[in-house]
Amino acid sequence: MRQLMVRDAIKEAIKSEMRRDPRVFLLGEDIIDPWGGSWKTMEGCYTEFGPERVRETPISEEAIVGAAVGAALCGMRPVAEIMFSDFTTRAMDQIVNQAAKFRYMTGGQASVPLVIRTAHGAGRAAAAQHSQSPEAWFVHTPGLKVVAPATPYDAKGLLLASIRDQDPVIFLEHKMNFTTEGPVPEEDYVVPLGKADVKRQGKDLTIVAHSRQVLRALEAAEQVAKEDGIEAEVVDPRTLFPLDVRTIVDSVKKTNRVVLVTEEVQRGSFAEHVASKIMEKCFYDLDGPIIFVAAKNTPIPFAPVMENFVIPDVPDIVAGIRQAMKA
Amino acid sequence: MAFKLTMPQLGLTMKVGTIVEWYKKDGDPIKSGDAVFAVETDKAVQDYESPSSGTLKLAPDVVGKPLPLGIPVEGMIGYLLEPGEAAPAEGQAAADAPEPVAVAAASASTASAVAAPQKVYKSSPLARKVAQLAGIDLATVVPEDGEKIHRKDVEAAVAARDAAKATVPAAPRPVAPAPAPSAPAVTAPLAGKAVPMSQVRRVIAQRMAEASQTTAAVTVTTEADATVLVEFREQAKASLQAAGLPVPSYTDMIVKLTALALQEHPGVNAALAGDEIIEMQDIHVAVAVDTDYGLLVPVIRDVPHKTLQQIAVEAKTLAEKARERKVGPDELQGGTFTVTNLGNYGVDAFTPIINLPQCAILGVGRIVGKPAEYKGEIALRKMLTLSLTFDHRVVDGGPAARFLNRIRQYVEDPYLWLTR
Repeated sequence: MRQLMVRDAIKEAIKSEMRRDPRVFLLGEDIIDPWGGSWKTMEGCYTEFGPERVRETPISEEAIVGAAVGAALCGMRPVAEIMFSDFTTRAMDQIVNQAAKFRYMTGGQASVPLVIRTAHGAGRAAAAQHSQSPEAWFVHTPGLKVVAPATPYDAKGLLLASIRDQDPVIFLEHKMNFTTEGPVPEEDYVVPLGKADVKRQGKDLTIVAHSRQVLRALEAAEQVAKEDGIEAEVVDPRTLFPLDVRTIVDSVKKTNRVVLVTEEVQRGSFAEHVASKIMEKCFYDLDGPIIFVAAKNTPIPFAPVMENFVIPDVPDIVAGIRQAMKA
Repeated sequence: MAFKLTMPQLGLTMKVGTIVEWYKKDGDPIKSGDAVFAVETDKAVQDYESPSSGTLKLAPDVVGKPLPLGIPVEGMIGYLLEPGEAAPAEGQAAADAPEPVAVAAASASTASAVAAPQKVYKSSPLARKVAQLAGIDLATVVPEDGEKIHRKDVEAAVAARDAAKATVPAAPRPVAPAPAPSAPAVTAPLAGKAVPMSQVRRVIAQRMAEASQTTAAVTVTTEADATVLVEFREQAKASLQAAGLPVPSYTDMIVKLTALALQEHPGVNAALAGDEIIEMQDIHVAVAVDTDYGLLVPVIRDVPHKTLQQIAVEAKTLAEKARERKVGPDELQGGTFTVTNLGNYGVDAFTPIINLPQCAILGVGRIVGKPAEYKGEIALRKMLTLSLTFDHRVVDGGPAARFLNRIRQYVEDPYLWLTR
């Protein structure tokens, strides 16, 4: 199968869906050609679909999301881009108080089929205001769906599923993952929301990781398989909400040990939510405490050395795996 | 060369032992054969006699916690050192250990040392679940890492238990895994005073539950007219006391007449082993003894070949040893049938629990004057209630009833067997 980078898989999903469904349109900052978006995920869209369907906006996240929510309420399927997930704070009222609430507050008469694509995560020396992992803010809000693909295949399939979904979806793209390559089918396919993927089979321990950390967890799993003979299973939830608890629990029931990997600060994180689900559903299948490999308790530092120190890397995950096997 | 002192194996099924008393202290010279410490095993406290000589060097903190058998480091108790020799490097912790731990324990009485809480290991939720399903008492599991009990530790305990059972020829095979208790594994803490279970209590709990869950127990009762037996004993008592000889108790007499009845009913002197029933060639009668620290059941061997006098002496000695916790494992093993007498406590009929791998147990009630039919009239007679619990997997109701009836005949007409 042909190999695509994540950003090209996203671009392919956007373009094919815009060709298929005239209600789909884009809005965001620097998205018209020749820029095609800061992450090059919308290159050529303006040229192909024109200014009516590719809306360049001022630097106002609240305006971007507010306009998108209004359009969605009126039957359109907007795909808005917030350049850095850190900037969603500027649009939090529109996301949390408007987009997430309409379906409920109208008794189901209105819905907001909106996708907000935004780049999250650290690793690019972009400093504390451009490197955060705000998954938990959105996972905590009823009315939102939260998606975080790790691979090009999942990025295309999940984005198509998100655009076709009737509810607002926060679509998190890791800024270090845009050039990650992988096989992507040319045809139309969806990866259903709420379905996790076992990225690596193993019998000794379950790693749950999302977004970029899936790739690092897979590397760490290969290393411990070679060096320690430990076979780690890597579960990628892909959709953070609604969460596929069953796949995670089935894996834990098989392996009895858990490492949760996340680029978030641990406290109040999505990973802790996963831990709470494991405790609720399969406490008596745990043969040791759940081990967290998370970002250290600090804003993301600017200096690359410090940034890499703060966020989990393969050696951190390897250490977490070894700790879990002993604990 | 330093001699390593590790937890010795003092019984076939022993997995861990707890040191409850020190006879020697750190630095004492030890001669081969000296009693060094007392070990509490399944059902007894036994002295450990040193197999070697040297100066005693104790490991720290070994008193009052269960130690696995013979394992260096975890099961390490100490060293016997030759003159001028230092403890080996792995015993460095031992060399640095403060002495008072051992000294304090050595001066403590056995009773208070036993009451000291044993080390409680933390266990993973999965280990608890696996232990519950397998019927393993987590308090008997010593973790491999010395800290926490994981699934592998429980699985090792299950394997050890199964292996121990396989080596005992007459051991019964459970027909099905012990069903999990219906109570949830984790409950709200109970209000009240927590009394740690002693090793004896744990073994009793485990064995009673096992017998209760694996046997098909049926109890039959009958009332015997013991008037002649009572008259006989009263007469014998006067003569024996005058001659300075021991007086057989009612229990002793019932042990003897039961053993003779067992000779005639070998099907009750039997054990279930796998899919075979073994009719035991010898008749060893276990006698329940109530002690301050729990029920013990020492065994009187070859009862049919012993006189009442011999049985009286032996039973008295065994009961005293049991009450002083001096009874050895060999004196607690090998019984083929059990007699338990609650008559002293005013009990008539009861339903004793079978002492596995045996297949039956006789419960003896009190002897009490009652109006009863005697030679066609109502007379005041000394009546005795007998309760026989038998494992219906091994013995059917008919043979069990015939056996109990034979015992009744022997009680009612003691000259039938006294003259044998």
